Amino acid sequence: MISIKGLSARAGSFSIRDISLDIRDSEYFVIVGPTGAGKTILLECLAGLHRLRSGEIHVGERDITSLPPEKRQVGYVPQDYALFPFLNVRDNITFGLRRMRHDKHEVNGTVESLAHLLGIHHLLDRNVRTLSGGEKQRIAIARALAISPKMLLLDEPMGSLDVRTAKFLRLELKRFHEELGITTIHVTHNLIEAEEMAERMAIMNVGKIEQIGTPERVFFYPQSAFVSDFIGTPNILDCDHCNDLGHGLMEAVCGGVPIILPYQGEGVRKIALLPREIYVTARKPPGPGLNRFRGTVTEITPFSSLMKLKISVGELSLVAELPQDIFEEMDIKTGQEVFLILKLRSLKVH
Amino acid sequence: MSSWRTSTGIAGERAFRLATLSALAILTLFFSGILVSLAAYTDWTTFFSILASKEILGAIRLTLVTATMAAVISMILAIPAAYALSQTKFPGKDIVDTILDLPIVVSPIALGAALLVFFNTPVGLGIENNLMRFVFEVPGIVLAQFTVINALAVRLLKATFDGINPRYERVGRTLGYTKLAVFFRITLPLARNGLLASAVLTWARAIGEFGATVTLAGAMKMKTETLPVAIFLNLATADVEKAVAVVFVLIVIAAGALMVLRKMTVKREVL
Repeated sequence: MISIKGLSARAGSFSIRDISLDIRDSEYFVIVGPTGAGKTILLECLAGLHRLRSGEIHVGERDITSLPPEKRQVGYVPQDYALFPFLNVRDNITFGLRRMRHDKHEVNGTVESLAHLLGIHHLLDRNVRTLSGGEKQRIAIARALAISPKMLLLDEPMGSLDVRTAKFLRLELKRFHEELGITTIHVTHNLIEAEEMAERMAIMNVGKIEQIGTPERVFFYPQSAFVSDFIGTPNILDCDHCNDLGHGLMEAVCGGVPIILPYQGEGVRKIALLPREIYVTARKPPGPGLNRFRGTVTEITPFSSLMKLKISVGELSLVAELPQDIFEEMDIKTGQEVFLILKLRSLKVH
Repeated sequence: MSSWRTSTGIAGERAFRLATLSALAILTLFFSGILVSLAAYTDWTTFFSILASKEILGAIRLTLVTATMAAVISMILAIPAAYALSQTKFPGKDIVDTILDLPIVVSPIALGAALLVFFNTPVGLGIENNLMRFVFEVPGIVLAQFTVINALAVRLLKATFDGINPRYERVGRTLGYTKLAVFFRITLPLARNGLLASAVLTWARAIGEFGATVTLAGAMKMKTETLPVAIFLNLATADVEKAVAVVFVLIVIAAGALMVLRKMTVKREVL
């Protein structure tokens, strides 16, 4: 277990304060928060690259608070990967191993097994300058894993990748993690990435941790206004009862409104859905009536470039968001009847 | 209306390009003109016999030896100093920075005069009498060159170290390397181009150093006669042909240094 107690650190005029965090063995832990939350500094404190003002860091029984980075056995993948441009891929991967003076046979064995795990055999003799973003990411992970670290620290590992590559590599990263079981701390500003990857996550804002928990827990029970705002202030619906519809579908009745979901087991108690994922239209939409409801607009509030509509459907009151221009085109007024479509894909259940 | 605007846009671009290219052409013509006039003036049969003379061969040898020594000493001190200047924060850093920059802007002859004055102080005299003689001696040449070129080396190296992303060094630390090991195994390889550039440029600058050298080490034929001093001495005795031959030697050395630099530095985008 990695245990952080009362950690504070400063970088220029910015500081992170009183961070306490326990990360379990083999856990995939994500630290998520907006830019400037102090996520990178926290990661650097763990790697020994940033001086603490106070606090302690333990890995298992070992106090590593005052150890220099070279003695911590931490696999660190910085933002943009920082592959050494003067070395080829193989020499990048073995850079740390060669320091430990392993014999050549052993070094080659490690490279082989990492290449196999990460699917990078064909890249080993390449110049790192010619690699794509996704390839660089894997090489950087291989380089970090080569020293058999006690934990893996990933700083915005998807930061510079295009959306599709990032999606694929998220799955890959999950697979490596399952295979190796290494305790991993992943820093990101991307909430979707955090929800998809994390076993547990910590939400950070201006140097403090706002909430720690499973993605589901954080989503359904945000503990602060910041967290609620950060995850998009979802509508949370309490469900009265559920019916299995067969064909992998189920129906959850929330406030008298029947919502169709992919089958989740009998126990759906809450459904969350983000205001931006409720589709609002003034005219009755064509097509099958799956998760389509008629409602009445009860309140309209402008919110920066968006309009927030409060709409009552049966006993439910839902908040939906529309971009200003689309709202104006539709010419919706309070008291007007509108149609809602809830996207099956965007429903989260608890 | 819009087509008229576009045409001015293109015409404007053309005029701008013409102006910048003209300036480039004027400069190129000016410097190549100097070279051509020099070549035209030279009598090539006497040129080689002058080159082979004991005086000029000695000057070449002395210049190469002293400039190399000055450049090596300068790099040995400038590499750590520039790294400290680039990576460390300390009070009074601006003052240190300014002091180290002074030799770039102060006239070399003034630096030479200052050195001469220094060696007349008790400390300076102590060094002269007990350690090593600099005034009007060969070590004075090396010291004069060092004084002039060191600031240049520090400046170039600091720019190089400033340009290195600290993430490389951080990763190196986590991979098991101490600060010192990271410096040799990561920082210096990353700084390769900057190191080469500052070594070659400071060496070439030392080859051509005149003002400080002549003030501190004097202009004594066959003794402290570096190539620039040789030009000065031969012009003073109206031996123009000899002076021109030395000018050629200096140009060849400079051109050679620049070419070596081009060959050895590899283009490398930042990862």
